[in-house]
Amino acid sequence: MPFTTVAEHKTEHLSVLSADGSFDASVAPDISKEKLLEMYTVMTRIRVFDERAIKLQRQGRLGTYPQILGQEATQCVPALCLEPKDWILPTYRGQGSYFARGMQMRYSLMYWGGDDRGVQYPKENNDLMFSIPVGAHMTQAMGLAWGEKLKGTKNVAVCWIGDGASSKGDFHEAMTFAGVHKLPLIMFIENNGWAISLSRKEQCAAETLAQKGHGYGAHSIQVDGNDPLAVYKVVSEAVARGRAGEGPTVIEALTYRISNHTTADDASRYRSNEEVEEWKKKDPLDRFRKHLLKTGILDDAGIETIQKEAEEYVVGEVKAYEAFDKPNPLNMFANNSEKAPWHVIEQRAELEEILKEKQIRNEIPELPAAEGRFP
Amino acid sequence: MKNLLQGINEGLKQAMEADERVILLGEDIGKNGGVFRVTDGLQKTFGPKRVYDTPLAELGIAGAAVGLALTGLRPVAEIQFSGFSPPILDQVICHFGRMRNRTGGRNTLPLVIRLPQGGLIHAPEHHSEAPEAYYCHTTGIKVVMPSTPEDAKGLMIAAIEDPDPVIYFEPKRLYRLIKGEVPAEKYSTPLGKCRIAREGTDCTVITWGAMVHTSLKAAQELEKDGISIEIVDLRTLTPIDIEGVIASVKKTGRAVVAHEAPNTGSWAAEVSSLVHERAFDALKAPVERVGSWDIRQPLFKTEHFYIPDAHRVVRGVNKTLSRVGAVR
Repeated sequence: MPFTTVAEHKTEHLSVLSADGSFDASVAPDISKEKLLEMYTVMTRIRVFDERAIKLQRQGRLGTYPQILGQEATQCVPALCLEPKDWILPTYRGQGSYFARGMQMRYSLMYWGGDDRGVQYPKENNDLMFSIPVGAHMTQAMGLAWGEKLKGTKNVAVCWIGDGASSKGDFHEAMTFAGVHKLPLIMFIENNGWAISLSRKEQCAAETLAQKGHGYGAHSIQVDGNDPLAVYKVVSEAVARGRAGEGPTVIEALTYRISNHTTADDASRYRSNEEVEEWKKKDPLDRFRKHLLKTGILDDAGIETIQKEAEEYVVGEVKAYEAFDKPNPLNMFANNSEKAPWHVIEQRAELEEILKEKQIRNEIPELPAAEGRFP
Repeated sequence: MKNLLQGINEGLKQAMEADERVILLGEDIGKNGGVFRVTDGLQKTFGPKRVYDTPLAELGIAGAAVGLALTGLRPVAEIQFSGFSPPILDQVICHFGRMRNRTGGRNTLPLVIRLPQGGLIHAPEHHSEAPEAYYCHTTGIKVVMPSTPEDAKGLMIAAIEDPDPVIYFEPKRLYRLIKGEVPAEKYSTPLGKCRIAREGTDCTVITWGAMVHTSLKAAQELEKDGISIEIVDLRTLTPIDIEGVIASVKKTGRAVVAHEAPNTGSWAAEVSSLVHERAFDALKAPVERVGSWDIRQPLFKTEHFYIPDAHRVVRGVNKTLSRVGAVR
């Protein structure tokens, strides 16, 4: 018996926008002018926020911070393809996805400023707190998609992961379940080229990360992640498939982490400046701006207004962040369980006593009232 | 003078020079020299065939270490932060400590897992945990944690040369904070032996890692009130140096266990239990534990009210000293 082919898989790539902002109308998404303006406005705000956050970190007004620069489209555009009741599970770098869904930037600053009152998303949203341990949220996203399917809703779950996370066993487990149960899960791989110091090539020997999806019976596609139109198209289609009960999609979005991994990292130790400069030419915001100007959706004055408004908005959010009282250390005891056990009640009382001792000795200033639910 | 991080680096380097079977693997440990730079320069010195940058998969790293060790190599694997180490427990619990026994002694695992441990470095969430109890509870493995540059080097060499799996916790707050003399030659600090970090007479504080230095600070505070504490730096958490610990407690008659993890189910609970079992007659008061609260570790703005500071160690010592009723 000869060898026979039992399965063949092809992995396609989609790019709509060129570097100069011109586009291929044959593959362009059906998208309203309002949506385009919303995308550009949010991406601009994310860029301004990111620049501001880095300055705050350097001035000691923020802790270690993972920079977004260059990944505005991959963070913002998928979020804008969704309804509030769809689930989003961004990465720790993915503050932009929360912003696109209405989270006030002050709460992101609070979290990265080391304050547990941070990351507060709008009540009507199904946004989930990101996982700091890489990739632990993949199986959770699968479970969310499963739950929505069991409940009979049309809601989908979008899980952002990095190229690094696609190496974790969690990816395999999440996609195996999602494929078998035809779950409305969108595994959105933000391939930004680097997992701290490990390049994409050293991370996985496959030509694409998108093709991993074929192994689980998922629809799989690669997209230019710095091309907002292409990202919008593939994510919208994946969402439609999910809502129609046609199962999961793996999307690999090619983008680039222009900055260091975090403010604690020095990327010059492991990658060339030439590579970074090459990717800067593909900047998602620049390309999108050129496109909007070329198609007459915006003019120079309109661009300037959006930029100015974004700057004012971010300045306002930074002010709001810095206007919060310092947290009362007792806050840490709130919301740990529905009913606090005896030892935790004792420990909270002990901390209260310690705080009083420290106040008497002038080691700490007067504290605001404790917040949160206890016991 | 070298810092603790340099002590570890030198230990790794000399162990690699002495034995070509020693190889390093982990995320970002090669070109980048590790996110803390613990392995800085080692890939340059020994080449990419001895120092591997792995894909991002902690459980994969731990399983690979098992396989590599079974082939006769001596892998030293880094998990970037102990907060990211829960996935490796599958290999640690189900295989590390069991391989020798269930193969009748035929297959052994001379491997080391390096785990940066502890908080108060102003880091994001999951970068500050003290999960040593999860490991200490596992049979068949050893767990060590240095608190000085000299021990950092000596314990690393001893861990690599040990024929069984060793979990090597690195108190990352001390990496650059603590400096000390480090002998230039290759030496090993024996596993299973504690160190008296400070001599005293009124109470023994049993501790490890960064809390040794917090306890030293507490000792200065207590001295002002005429109280003299002896500080035992465990160095090896398991197997514990039972003779060394009990000798100190018998001398002072009181004990406090100070550590960074929450008290419930902690390694401090085990130490306290051992002291009660083996030095009960010498105790003038029950053993106190000074640990973090039994709640989720908060972000860094209030972390210093979660992990015990010197003041909390002082309170713990004073509590044992004030147990008048317990004096026999």
